[in-house]
Amino acid sequence: MTNNASIIRLLVAKDWQLFQKQLALYVLAGIVALCLLALAKPWAFYLGSLMLIVVVVAAACFSISASLMVERKEHTLAFVMSLPVSPWDFTIAKLLGNLVTFGVPFLVLCLGTLGTVLFTPLPDGLFVYALLIFGYVLFAYSVALSIAMTVESEGWNTFAMIGSMVLINPFIMGLAQIDAISSQIEQDAIVWSTPAVAILLTQVILSVAVLGFTVWHHARKPAFY
Amino acid sequence: MTAAFSLSGIAKRYPHFALQDISLQLPEGQIMGLVGVNGAGKTTLLRLLTGLAAPDAGEVQVLGHRLPEEQVAAKRDIGFASEDMRLYRSQTLRWHMTLVQRIFPAWDETYADELLRRFDLRAEQAVGGFSHGQRVKALLLLCLARRPRLLLLDEPTTGLDPVARIEVLEALSDVLRDEQRSVLFSSHNTHDVEQLADTITFLHNGRLVDSADKESFLDRWRRVVCQGTAPADLQQWPELASVRNSGSLVEIKARHWNEQLPDRLASLGLQVQRVDSMALEDIFVTAVRSGAVA
Repeated sequence: MTNNASIIRLLVAKDWQLFQKQLALYVLAGIVALCLLALAKPWAFYLGSLMLIVVVVAAACFSISASLMVERKEHTLAFVMSLPVSPWDFTIAKLLGNLVTFGVPFLVLCLGTLGTVLFTPLPDGLFVYALLIFGYVLFAYSVALSIAMTVESEGWNTFAMIGSMVLINPFIMGLAQIDAISSQIEQDAIVWSTPAVAILLTQVILSVAVLGFTVWHHARKPAFY
Repeated sequence: MTAAFSLSGIAKRYPHFALQDISLQLPEGQIMGLVGVNGAGKTTLLRLLTGLAAPDAGEVQVLGHRLPEEQVAAKRDIGFASEDMRLYRSQTLRWHMTLVQRIFPAWDETYADELLRRFDLRAEQAVGGFSHGQRVKALLLLCLARRPRLLLLDEPTTGLDPVARIEVLEALSDVLRDEQRSVLFSSHNTHDVEQLADTITFLHNGRLVDSADKESFLDRWRRVVCQGTAPADLQQWPELASVRNSGSLVEIKARHWNEQLPDRLASLGLQVQRVDSMALEDIFVTAVRSGAVA
């Protein structure tokens, strides 16, 4: 399988150019949320964490819908497919484009959150808890992205995107039920309990597996239609 | 003569549509008009020629490349624009031109500027503000300025006002001054096809109805008006596409006209009153209604 590296680079840069302004707004909103968290007051923590989750989930949904669903709906994908790219090049470009457009705000906000936890009066025990929540968003994003790349139906894509992201709520509640994790949240130390490490590893492995399967699936396609 | 493309024994099946047994060839330097009603299979055929779709059977060769396997190499020399293709609304035409220029080394900046003036397009305007005609012309500019050896256009003149239509047709005519460049364009509009094409192909219900060079197409078909009553078996003559009684007149449309036909009709008691050439639209409608398959 040969790559059309220069065109893939151009297509990734194209996606970045198209969506960078909106993504900058998400990062800005995320920074406001982090500022609220940094106040370390109960009301500000509640408001900031809620806003942060909403912003990260919205950035994930925006990245997928703008680069795949809207392009498909507005027929700009037809323009891209008319360029000298194979289905394999297109898949790699879309995957990398999405990982860049979502990955940059995701990393900024994830690292910003961890930094806020470590360098403000917030208990350091939140570090692992926050990381697990970001890990879940990464996994949900991978599932939604994989479905959006594989299935053309807008309805199924919307269902997968909203469904996977909405499940963050029961996931957070579930974490609170695991004593080894919830008991460390208010401690002023980072504690890597066995369940926390297992969950984080599972999230990362599943995310990589889902995206890997998507690439493998598309690599077998000789043509777009 | 080298073929710009050749299709042999092509079949492509979808749940509610199938393209069947298509064999077609376009010599380099020629322009082919592909005529068919909605759902005839024109878009599917063009998708096969760009490697976007893979045939279920048969072989597709474009500019010496086998498709879809070698679609990247083929698409470097193909300019493809379809009626349902859109540009990025939030970006300017200049942004699109820069993107395409980076991908195609043969991009001709001088020609692009000439087309901008000719099509009266503003490069710095966001594409979202373009009218339908401007959008079609912008797509055509992006295709033409890369100097493709093969131009594939799906319904390029559909929905255009008369002025924009003429501008687009003139631009396509100019492309053909270079004998190494070939064009395949699909259209409902038989007038456009008649004006521009060297070769005409009719497609209907996923099958090739007829394909020939324009002159022989127009030479082969005739409308014959006779007085008398047509015998019942006249419709079965292979050279006739349609026979219609209207009072004491019989209108016959011949798909393979020959000089002996009036005498043969006279021998049946039909008095030939007029023999007329047929317009391409009439030929197309008659060919499709007669259900003939090439």
